Amino acid sequence: MGIVIAVISGKGGVGKTTTTANVGVGIALNDKKCVVVDFDIGQRNLDMILGLENRVVFDMVQVMDGEVGLKQALIKSKISPNLSFLAASQTKDKSVLNSEKILKLINDLKADFDYVILDAPAGIETGYEHTIEFADRAIIVVNPEVSSIRDADRAIGILDSKSQKVKDGEEVFKYLIINRINPKMVKSGEMLSSEDILDILNIPLVGKIPEDTAIIDASNQGKPIILNKKSEAGQAYERIAGRLCGNEIDMQDVENPKSGILHKFKGMFK
Amino acid sequence: MKTKQSSVKVLDVTLTNNDDFVTFFDRNYIVFQNHLIVLHGESNAFIEKYLNDKKLNFMVNAEFKKARPTKEIQAQETQTPKELPKKEEPPVLEHKTKTTLKVLDKLVRSGQELNIESDLLLLNRVNSGGKININGNLIITEIVEGSIRCNGDFMMLKSSPKANIVFHEVEVDNKYLTERLNRVELKNNEITITPVLKETNWG
Repeated sequence: MGIVIAVISGKGGVGKTTTTANVGVGIALNDKKCVVVDFDIGQRNLDMILGLENRVVFDMVQVMDGEVGLKQALIKSKISPNLSFLAASQTKDKSVLNSEKILKLINDLKADFDYVILDAPAGIETGYEHTIEFADRAIIVVNPEVSSIRDADRAIGILDSKSQKVKDGEEVFKYLIINRINPKMVKSGEMLSSEDILDILNIPLVGKIPEDTAIIDASNQGKPIILNKKSEAGQAYERIAGRLCGNEIDMQDVENPKSGILHKFKGMFK
Repeated sequence: MKTKQSSVKVLDVTLTNNDDFVTFFDRNYIVFQNHLIVLHGESNAFIEKYLNDKKLNFMVNAEFKKARPTKEIQAQETQTPKELPKKEEPPVLEHKTKTTLKVLDKLVRSGQELNIESDLLLLNRVNSGGKININGNLIITEIVEGSIRCNGDFMMLKSSPKANIVFHEVEVDNKYLTERLNRVELKNNEITITPVLKETNWG
């Protein structure tokens, strides 16, 4: 049976979808069968970031309603044969979801894949609650700023009270990803440091991602940044995917990047 | 032009005699340090010197358009404000707080609200947006960023600049709280704040 991981944040625009896409690709490249599911019904974006927008024929809602089979709706990515994608419906809205249908879909996916990654919608409404309902684990994506932290805190609170696992008396294991770290601003004290964020949220850190303008281009092109070996953000996602697959990888200090002569020299040619 | 709007808390005082005035302010001047004190009636040099010595802001015979009902203000004129809630509290405290103590090592996250009748020892943070309403005594060993409403005999807190702490319907200003634990208690109708555990490092 596979593991269901929900990617949540509370606040919108912090990098949930980018994280889902990159972590999904990373896990698939680690030779694990992985499916990424876009739960943001009515506002799907994950297909674009994965570069699969022109291959979407059937969506998740059609599968849940029994109109098409799961195998038909799953899209195999060209990046890795291990990676599949299930699109959200762009025409329906969140009210079509219900717990029974979601449980059946998730159980079907768990039977076929090692990792099932769910991209949650922003906010804490029913769409979010349905995403976390059957999750075994959760990745919480935050930006180092107070509003993102508070919204994430609220989202964790709901996760800890409304997920099925908690109702059964177990715990949903949580991982924290701090996205868009700007080392200069952290050093000057304008941005919250990782220690502060960990103090507030009190969940284990799985990785820090530096701010990287290459991500925007990567998203526009539909090529997840993790495939760009030169990008620091891409390398950070690679390490995170490795950690999620159970590999021991040392934490890199992205807040204090190396500042040797060679590094400065490289910086001049950027 | 540069303008800044700041909210001001106003205390209305109707002067009758100097002795009453001095006994009231000797006990309570700390609470009113951030207030604007409006004196009604005949002011005199003694009172003005007293207020200046205590570094309190005051005005003489000014009229404000009041948002609050006048009833409440009249009550404040004659009594300390803390006496109002006190009347209802004792029966709740007597039989509940002394028998039960709840110990929690749980983060109070944004949006979570704890309503507690007994005493509480909380060994974790209260995050921004979290809330604790308690009728018993309260001890929190970590920093508070949310809001606290405590109606117990005492509470113990660390300095918490972002918190909103209300003890018996009086706001506790963070500047009176030190880095280590502070004991906030109600003694003879006034709120006293004393640092505790001076030698012990809780860090």
